[in-house]
Amino acid sequence: MMTFIPPRLRKPAGVALAGAVFAAAWLVRGGPLWWVSIMAVIATAVRAVSWYRMGGEDTDEGALAASRADERQHLVSLQSRALACNLAAVAAFIGLTVAIAVKAGWWWPFLVILAITGFGFLLGLSSYGSGEPDTDDDADAGQPERSPVQR
Amino acid sequence: MRNRVREQRTQRGLSQAELAAALGVSRQTVISIESGRYLPSLPLAFTIARLFALTVDKMFDPDDEEAGA
Repeated sequence: MMTFIPPRLRKPAGVALAGAVFAAAWLVRGGPLWWVSIMAVIATAVRAVSWYRMGGEDTDEGALAASRADERQHLVSLQSRALACNLAAVAAFIGLTVAIAVKAGWWWPFLVILAITGFGFLLGLSSYGSGEPDTDDDADAGQPERSPVQR
Repeated sequence: MRNRVREQRTQRGLSQAELAAALGVSRQTVISIESGRYLPSLPLAFTIARLFALTVDKMFDPDDEEAGA
């Protein structure tokens, strides 16, 4: 979908799109805080330019920012995202536990985050791991039984 | 796991950046492979071995870690 965008512009474009949606949400919300959307646009522009500039650096972060990461850099990115997800799940569990203990009404967002991380993990197992078709071992797949000892 | 990437690279007078360009990876990845911090994937290991006209088992020595332990 993003192949028509030059690699170095992909991450900044994603940042700009997310920022524009966030700013639009503030604008749609209206009220006295409508000006937050302008702040969001400015912050998004700064962030997108920062990502673009980082993409020109000869570093792992630069390679990831410019969508030109090699296999090791992809692995580093994957591990970092896995760590971030683990931390989010732990934080959500702590938040849920505390919210239940103090009988607060804001327990459900923590439960949603926990459910999403759990579902994401199961989806990952299904997509990348246990999705392999299960076939019989060659030794059992209709081969005539034969003694390993050659006579 | 010990490898002979740095040795082979210096023998041929290549810089890390030149080797990285030849392999299609970043200079940081070449540094990580040479220092043993990163074990390359099988396709990349084959590419490295072919580049230096060696076999993979000559380029990467799995027994060295056991010997050093």
